[in-house]
Amino acid sequence: MRVQNERTVADGLRLAVRAMVYAVLGGAALIAIATVVSVLGPMLAIDLYTPPVAAWWTVFTAVAVQGVPFLLLGTVVSAAIGAFVPERVFTRLLPRNQALAVPIAGAAGVVLPGCECASVPVASSLMRRGVAPAAALAFLLSAPAINPVVLVATSIAFPGQPKMVLGRLVASLATAVVMGWLWARFGKEEWLRLPKRTRTTASSPAGMKAFVAGLQHDFLHAGGFLVLGAAAAATFNIAVPRSILDIFTGSSWLSLLLLALLAVVLCVCSEADAFVAASLSGFSPAAKLAFMVVGPMVDLKLIALQAGTFGRSFAFRFSSTTWLVAVTSSTLVGWWLL
Amino acid sequence: MRRYGSAVLLLLTGGAVLRISLFSDLYLRYVQAALRPYLVISGALLMLLGVVAAVRGMSHRDHEEAHEDHEEEEEAHSHGGPRIAWLLTLPALALLLFPPPALGSYSAGREQAQLAAQGVGTFPALPAAKVLDISVAQYSSRAIYDTGHSLKGRTVRMTGFATHGSNGTWYVTRLVVTCCAADATTSKVEIRGTEATDAPQTDTWVTVTGTWLPKGRLGTDGAWPPLLDATTVTQVKQPADPYEKR
Repeated sequence: MRVQNERTVADGLRLAVRAMVYAVLGGAALIAIATVVSVLGPMLAIDLYTPPVAAWWTVFTAVAVQGVPFLLLGTVVSAAIGAFVPERVFTRLLPRNQALAVPIAGAAGVVLPGCECASVPVASSLMRRGVAPAAALAFLLSAPAINPVVLVATSIAFPGQPKMVLGRLVASLATAVVMGWLWARFGKEEWLRLPKRTRTTASSPAGMKAFVAGLQHDFLHAGGFLVLGAAAAATFNIAVPRSILDIFTGSSWLSLLLLALLAVVLCVCSEADAFVAASLSGFSPAAKLAFMVVGPMVDLKLIALQAGTFGRSFAFRFSSTTWLVAVTSSTLVGWWLL
Repeated sequence: MRRYGSAVLLLLTGGAVLRISLFSDLYLRYVQAALRPYLVISGALLMLLGVVAAVRGMSHRDHEEAHEDHEEEEEAHSHGGPRIAWLLTLPALALLLFPPPALGSYSAGREQAQLAAQGVGTFPALPAAKVLDISVAQYSSRAIYDTGHSLKGRTVRMTGFATHGSNGTWYVTRLVVTCCAADATTSKVEIRGTEATDAPQTDTWVTVTGTWLPKGRLGTDGAWPPLLDATTVTQVKQPADPYEKR
């Protein structure tokens, strides 16, 4: 007994000493690197740091910074689902019939306030907890588009046009539900690659340790893809001249398709896209609606996140189909409501 | 490095987020002001996770010899972190070492700087003041859309950076950011009343005081960009929040 006690004390001491050594060494190395880089960096960088490059860095870091809190929220929720919620909760909440489960899951998207970064990890952990992929995908698509924060932002961006808010709600929900049904009917399990986790794949909840491990893993994994998406978004943001928008305003069909494509490359977060849509003068209301319906469901940042979470072959199939469905549904809703 | 990869990444990311949100106002260059508390919480949480990962990495080392194989396989998943995560070092180091500047004239010039044709109408009354502080965006939309002419006879003061148009015109310009810098839109006001030679250099921050000059028919392209007859133009430091909120 005493021997063991001594051992743990010695272990603790060793751990503390090692931590201190690492902190000192690591700190010294960091300071050295920071000094060298901050002295040499500006000299090298001045020639390369032209206004477009500076703007690229700003937009790149902005998209990443903006994404971090939402991604963390999403991974906290997803890790909590993975670690604390037993599988039977979902099997009891959702009807067994997929055709019924999809619209319910789609409507449940109302409860997750946040932009699209949060919904990918949550949907993935729902699937791991035994929710039918079709229902989880409907939730994935609807959550960032129809939550109250986004709808309020839309009504502020389009004052006096409540039909725009209604149109967005209807078209987004319709797209999410149709995509869920399409997956239930035509989707193949092998397209979907769910990341395996060492400890939390068991069907019973695994508690605090699994929660922390899941949180670390999910955040780092999704964070890497967020950075990738941010880089793509910044590149398009800087490279695509806004003047091409003027060329297409003449034809309402072309302009709708153009705004639907623009939503993919600009990666504006779903809480802000209504303001961007409102500022695109000269476009038909249906085109603006398409911009707002496509944006939260398909954009470069999301494709990167989905490719990381569900696999590349899934992300490309799913995103391109979602894009088509979203464009169709916003055209129909736009023609009917606006 | 593999054992401490997760810890390093989490600490770096958390540190970068805290540096721009808790220890400075730099976050205002990238995102809207309301996001600050969430950034601080996220940064703190990431640091905490990083510390947990570091402690676990250290304690695991002691038992490593015992179950080498098992460890090896788990390592790839939890401690080293996924390889893609190393991309996080890019924005994290950029924010820690050289925080990118706020968007300026370059981005303003690329935008088509036009407000949506939302139709003309009346606006809520402006507060009574001898000199009215107003945002560039607010001035712009009142000048273009307000059938109540609420700017008439008022002396207004606004702050923005200078940009130049063709044939010697110059503008006070400000970017409007709703969520993050990726959604920046431009509003600008053409400044009259000062000689072109007095016009400040591009990207210089100025505060301009003056009165409204009506132009064009309300709600049409002819009314844009709005005019301001300036009486004084003073150079100022870039404000902490370089963008206007909607």
